[in-house]
Amino acid sequence: MVQLRSLFLLVVSLATCLYARSSTGDSVLVVVEPNRQDDYSLFFDGLKEQGYELTFRAPKAEGPLVIEHDVPNFAHVILLASETKNFAKDITPQSFVQLLGKKTNLIIALSSKQTPMSSLAAEFSLTLPPPGTPLVSYFPEREESPQVIPVSVQANSIVSSNINPVWFSGVPHSIGNNPMIVPILRAPEESFASETDGGSPDSLVDAAERGGEGLWAGSQLSLVTGFQTLDNSRVTFVGGVNVFSDEFAQKEISKGLPSGNAAFARDVVAWTFQETNVFRIESTTHHRVNATEPPEQYTTNDRLVYNAYISKYNSKTSTWVPYPEIRDLQLEFTMLDPHVRTALLPVSSNPGKYSATFRVPDRHGVFKFVINYKRKGLTYLTSSMTVPVVPPRHDGYPRFLSAAWPYYTGAISTSIAFFLFSALWLAGDSREKKAKGHKAE
Amino acid sequence: MAPKSLTPASTNVVQTLWKAYSDHTSDRLKFIDAFLVFLMLSGIAQFLYCVLVTDYPFNAFLSGFASTVGQFVMTASLRSQVNPENKNEFKEISPERAFGDFALGSIVLHFFVYNFLG
Repeated sequence: MVQLRSLFLLVVSLATCLYARSSTGDSVLVVVEPNRQDDYSLFFDGLKEQGYELTFRAPKAEGPLVIEHDVPNFAHVILLASETKNFAKDITPQSFVQLLGKKTNLIIALSSKQTPMSSLAAEFSLTLPPPGTPLVSYFPEREESPQVIPVSVQANSIVSSNINPVWFSGVPHSIGNNPMIVPILRAPEESFASETDGGSPDSLVDAAERGGEGLWAGSQLSLVTGFQTLDNSRVTFVGGVNVFSDEFAQKEISKGLPSGNAAFARDVVAWTFQETNVFRIESTTHHRVNATEPPEQYTTNDRLVYNAYISKYNSKTSTWVPYPEIRDLQLEFTMLDPHVRTALLPVSSNPGKYSATFRVPDRHGVFKFVINYKRKGLTYLTSSMTVPVVPPRHDGYPRFLSAAWPYYTGAISTSIAFFLFSALWLAGDSREKKAKGHKAE
Repeated sequence: MAPKSLTPASTNVVQTLWKAYSDHTSDRLKFIDAFLVFLMLSGIAQFLYCVLVTDYPFNAFLSGFASTVGQFVMTASLRSQVNPENKNEFKEISPERAFGDFALGSIVLHFFVYNFLG
């Protein structure tokens, strides 16, 4: 057994690139029942190898506190005590929400028992089925109980595409239509939630008679769901804690096909603990088209250039690398309403730089450059820079209007004609006088 | 005034009118009339531009149009004061005095025009 375990560990560590670091910190608090801590040893060893510092705590233990004097003590929290109903005083749904507001990431395991964490999941638009109804599936045919289900992993922005099916046992949840929810693992189509002791066929028949109403079933249910808050902290709700267990990690899906639990757990941890899909705006600058420094204020109808520099966190090297591949970034030039909404296109000569050139609108006032880029699974990019726009000074207007040229030529031609006329008239006058003078003689 | 038409009799009227005009008007008066025609055309052109295209800098239209109209008035009064047939009307005003009034008035007019033209 020990040999198999160390062999498995070797395979896991060779298959992955070791030592991917989170961008927000390495300290992790693991809240787990002490007598079940050894069930997840492979998971914890994998985390330690990646560089996380784990601190273990029993749910009812007094310390270490998760948050003290409004400062979180850990960068990340994993709560694997999914069946505990009584926690210590500082582990409550309210304190976890406070932690998310302070940019701490969470992984929370749920179970078919009603715990304080079930009400926390409801705050994130995740609805759990009634207590005591775990997920059950009779397909595919297997020797395990119907509540231990192999779930195939669909590739999305969080899990990579070549993960083997994952063993799961726990509760599903239905997700609301909050755009900040990122579903990670969906339930298989043939699965449904029902009571464990003999109730399953009856509930199916009842639901079939009602046309499927009231039955928690199918792939609209989600088993592992992520949520990214507006502060860019991430929380993942896992429907059953056994996804992380050693037993499921080592159980084979079919002959010769190992389960994907370890790889899946690693991908979930990587997304939740801010290793993957983490972006940030390094800086933004703006200036007039032929200048380099931002002016104190812009004039209406100026042409200006706005630049943003965006980089992505590379967890292998723990550095921020310029990222030129965002294709749908938008810039808004806003005063109460966006007067200008234009595309921020990547500049090919300078990777990571995005630039837009446009004309300041014909209104004066206080405008904002707003970047508001929210996509599922990626860090929300938001930036707002305020800038005054003034009307032209009294000498800032064009001197001669091109629409008035006919009038300018009219007035000038009248003057010239007048001078020519006077000159010729006087010349003719003197000639006439000379002629008269001659005649008089 | 006889209206223009294509009948030979009416064309005859216009021709007779033109012949009488060119025979009985001195060269000096014809020179003034040419200036008057130019001013009228310039005024009409500016007016048509204002009506058909845009009156956008309205002050520019007013000053350009007033320039032609004012100059027309000045030149017309010069013509009537200088015409020898009107000598009885303008006994105290010699042709030189008439021209001087014309020149002074025109220069003041142009001063106002360029000020208002913008």
